[in-house]
Amino acid sequence: MRLAIITAIIAGIMICVSNAYAYLDPGTGSYLLQILIAGLVGAAFSIKIFWQKIKDFFIGKKQDSNE
Amino acid sequence: MNKSTEINLDGNLSSSFRDPSGFMFTRDGKLYRQVNHYYQDNFDLLIESGLYERLIKKGLLIPHSVSDIPPANLDIAYKIIKPEIIPFISYPYEWSFSQFKDAALTTLKIEKEALKHGMSLKDASAYNIQFRNNQPVFIDTLSFERYEEGKPWVAYKQFCQHFLAPLALMSYTDIRLGLMMRLFIDGIPLNLAAKLLPSRCRFKMSLFLHIYLHARSQDYYSDKQIDSAKKTTSHISKQSRLGLIDSLETAIKRMKWRPAKTEWGEYYDATNYSKEAIGEKGQLVSEYLDITKSNTVWDLGANTGLFSRIAAEKGMNTISFDIDPAAVEKNYLACRKDKISNMLPLLIDLTNPSPGIGWACEERESLIQRSPADTAMALALIHHLAISNNLPFSHIASFFKNICNYLIIEFVPKSDSQVKRLLTTREDIFPNYTKEGFEAEFTKLFTIEKCTQISGTERFLYLLKGK
Repeated sequence: MRLAIITAIIAGIMICVSNAYAYLDPGTGSYLLQILIAGLVGAAFSIKIFWQKIKDFFIGKKQDSNE
Repeated sequence: MNKSTEINLDGNLSSSFRDPSGFMFTRDGKLYRQVNHYYQDNFDLLIESGLYERLIKKGLLIPHSVSDIPPANLDIAYKIIKPEIIPFISYPYEWSFSQFKDAALTTLKIEKEALKHGMSLKDASAYNIQFRNNQPVFIDTLSFERYEEGKPWVAYKQFCQHFLAPLALMSYTDIRLGLMMRLFIDGIPLNLAAKLLPSRCRFKMSLFLHIYLHARSQDYYSDKQIDSAKKTTSHISKQSRLGLIDSLETAIKRMKWRPAKTEWGEYYDATNYSKEAIGEKGQLVSEYLDITKSNTVWDLGANTGLFSRIAAEKGMNTISFDIDPAAVEKNYLACRKDKISNMLPLLIDLTNPSPGIGWACEERESLIQRSPADTAMALALIHHLAISNNLPFSHIASFFKNICNYLIIEFVPKSDSQVKRLLTTREDIFPNYTKEGFEAEFTKLFTIEKCTQISGTERFLYLLKGK
């Protein structure tokens, strides 16, 4: 069942994917998966950065621009 | 990137053929990289964006100088560059867990830095990482391309197969599965990794996404044609690209491997050497090494590198090989902690050392192809080869003759308790395993420069020179 849902979502995304020209084959499945999970990993990253900023504010740590 | 690398008839390196951006070649014994016109824009962007300078400053990319020698292939050449030489090329299946993990994190660090400069890695091969001064460094200067807004990461699949899957298997299933990199030249297939990982890994979000779901997606699309007419613009924001890298980085940072008690882990405590005898053996090794005046030393069966350090302290480039993943791991972590930069611990089973693999067995060199070392050390090793592995002295001598000019070798006689232990459970079929038998075979290929009995033991330490 889970597979069916996943493949339906991937198939939905599939129709609006741009061409990937690369000397290595990025792999269709790998390429489409990134688009599928982009929102999730992007949101998780935003939340992480947000919390880090709050923590840094209270601890008083300045962000290291070199990192 | 080392000087002994396999060369084709046209002078190009056998491992350098995939990327149309350029290739490696040697001329007059020196190593060069041709940058082709195909890669001109990206090469200029690498330099002009400040990314090259930044990566060099952080020690993440191999430095190069622009050379004015005539190109290897004039018609397509843009520039010739001369990269700094890596003294010894190692491969992922020879790395300890932490070496592999450091290599993966270095690749991600470079990708993050590239994104900041409007570029991205177009491949994420584990073979693009080498160890220089015991630190991972990226060696393929032509792996960067202009970042295009909205485009997914083309090297994502390769990163997962080359780094994420083997590290997950080493960490969560069995450390020895790192050796699977020897079987699969383009990394471990994700559907195989998904089968081999324990089922609890499905509940780790990052592994669920990047291995399990990724494998399903790959399998699902493996035989499907995507209609290019329907391909328009999709968008994966830069924040999502950064999120992807962060997710991979978090997954890898969480992976741990703590060596349990292994065969060799506590070796120095279990030997029949007294502290004084170990000290004397070290002193002898040091004296012998001084005679050899070596630049490169291979310590074979080095365990956690006690004697390798003697060579490294003399400024000799030392490779510290051992069969035990725990010993290599301890050795690497200790070298990093003690900031020993000219000693590289690596995993090698001498009875089955790394073969040549890839196309025509030439893409990745065998251990022998990466020899000779000026000096090889085989301390407390001969009985394991001759008795545990039934190797005749003639075979052992001939192997060492192939890989070194000088050999520091310890002979451990049958009367030694370690040899007695090896013989307790098996028939003694080794009538020639004597000091005389050893000398008779080895002197066919070597001359004995020094031979000293280590006091308090029945063992002898030889310095042999190849004939």
